[in-house]
Amino acid sequence: MKAAVKTNFRGMRALVVLGNDSNRFVLASVLGKLGLDVQLLDPHDAGVPTALQRCDVVLLDADVNLEMLAEPDALPDVPCIALIGIETPSQLTRVVRQGCISHILKPVRSSGVFTALLLAVNEHEKRRKIAREMAVLRQRLAGRREVMAAVLTLMVAEGLDQDAAYERLRVDAMNRRMPIEELAREYLARDARAQGGSRRPQIKADDTAKKRCTNRRLRQ
Amino acid sequence: MKATIEIGIVVSTSGSYGAIGQAICAGAELAIAEVNADPEARVSLLPRLVDPGGVTAAYADAVQELLTSSGITQVLGCYTSSSRKEVLPLFEKHDALLWYPSHYEGFETSDNVIYTGAAPNQHVIPLARHLLDNHGNRGWFVGSNYVWAWENNRILRESLMETGGTILGERYFPVGETDLGALVAQIVQDRPDFVFNTLIGESCYEFLRLLRAEAIASGLDQPNQLPVASCSLSEAELPLIGDAAAGHLSSSVYFSTIDSPENARFTAQWDGRHRHLGRASADGEAAYIAVHLLAMAVANAGSTCLSEVRAAARGLRFAAPQGLVTVDPDNLHCSMRPRIGKSTADGTFEILREESSPVRPDPYLVWASAKQKDGRLGPDHLRSVS
Repeated sequence: MKAAVKTNFRGMRALVVLGNDSNRFVLASVLGKLGLDVQLLDPHDAGVPTALQRCDVVLLDADVNLEMLAEPDALPDVPCIALIGIETPSQLTRVVRQGCISHILKPVRSSGVFTALLLAVNEHEKRRKIAREMAVLRQRLAGRREVMAAVLTLMVAEGLDQDAAYERLRVDAMNRRMPIEELAREYLARDARAQGGSRRPQIKADDTAKKRCTNRRLRQ
Repeated sequence: MKATIEIGIVVSTSGSYGAIGQAICAGAELAIAEVNADPEARVSLLPRLVDPGGVTAAYADAVQELLTSSGITQVLGCYTSSSRKEVLPLFEKHDALLWYPSHYEGFETSDNVIYTGAAPNQHVIPLARHLLDNHGNRGWFVGSNYVWAWENNRILRESLMETGGTILGERYFPVGETDLGALVAQIVQDRPDFVFNTLIGESCYEFLRLLRAEAIASGLDQPNQLPVASCSLSEAELPLIGDAAAGHLSSSVYFSTIDSPENARFTAQWDGRHRHLGRASADGEAAYIAVHLLAMAVANAGSTCLSEVRAAARGLRFAAPQGLVTVDPDNLHCSMRPRIGKSTADGTFEILREESSPVRPDPYLVWASAKQKDGRLGPDHLRSVS
């Protein structure tokens, strides 16, 4: 099913980081008509970092090089729209690095603001969805090593073949309504305790061990 | 001594939607005559008429000519949105003001345009509520293939979806298309609760004739069993439809049957001078309002300079035939009273419902929806008058 496209931005908090000129005036006027709560700040205003944490969309002057924004994660995870006057590779590279997903050319006209906002908000939502899916897939991928280890342990302990051992784990995971990766971790931890050793169930060859702490059940 | 202001009028009085253009011109002429005859008025108006013939590209040439060669800054004009989009950059470039005398689908605000027709929350949304309340939620959508139809259909489609309704069919035709026989046969066979019609000009008139004939052939009472609703059908068009003119729903801020002293005076003048165009209509009245507001704004500004006239126009009020009209200081559209009418055999509309007071324009539909919870625009706001 296709996700609905958001076309109404009533009540969203917009932060406009732009010098006090006619562009800012036009922008504030159109955003207000679109139902957004608008905060206007000069790029060099000391309140910018705080304001960035309290907004739902940022409109950023791309012609001012703010060192503060060059830091990784300086911008919050909200849609970012670049306000572009100078189209040089150096300026535009910064726009890309800052993760701006939409833009408005200066001088700002009333036409084009709605389009830029609509594209930014919907594209950002799409990217967030992809990022969430990717996190889930990464976690599953990281868990494959433990599934393999559990299958091997089962094969040795119970004298099963590979398919039967995997099927046992899968059915068990389904019955307990948990991902097979989690069940495998639990199984290995139990097995390690049963052997009474301080032996860790995982092979610490890469970063997968670090990710164990994200698992709620393991922390108990 | 009154200052004489030259104003441009860029309206297609010929071409496929020429009838509407003639009504717009007629409304403008009445207002110009009133302003020029009024000893209290501080300006008199000298119109320069241009007819782009319904050809979108011709609008840009006409406006370019008026704004550059003639030094005109105040222009009344355009009916279709495509023509308005075509000329908008020219108004921005030359610091001129367009007085746009037509209802439209919204999603635009420009500091170079004063919109004196209804915004979408003043026509489509009230119509959606009326259809859902009275006719059901199974619709058939038919329209001319341009932004007016697409956007109005989107708004109504979303309203239907919210209430669990369905769209039985949706078709678009080129402006001026009249080969609609297969379409009406399909619609009569599908028997929707209503047909939402966003066809304009000749296509619309032919569609209404063919649908009526097809319905009669199938033993249906079309106005009651297969009602057609629109946001643009006006008095100017009813005489062109012929026998099938009566029984269609229209959503508009103006109908010639409004009972008020201002409207009685307006319709008397209209019938005296422009009766051959049909009865007074929304587009004619919007042009009449635009010219009066223009004259007031220019007089108050004491100049025809864009920024001064625009500043003078913000919040301007006019006792129009439809009732009090106020230019919204924020978005330069007008506060107006939505109404639902049903066409009659004598070329007028019987008013079925009307808002109790003017509704603020909401061109981006930020606040309005057909399933409104907001009391200011909510369903309770639309009261029955018959």
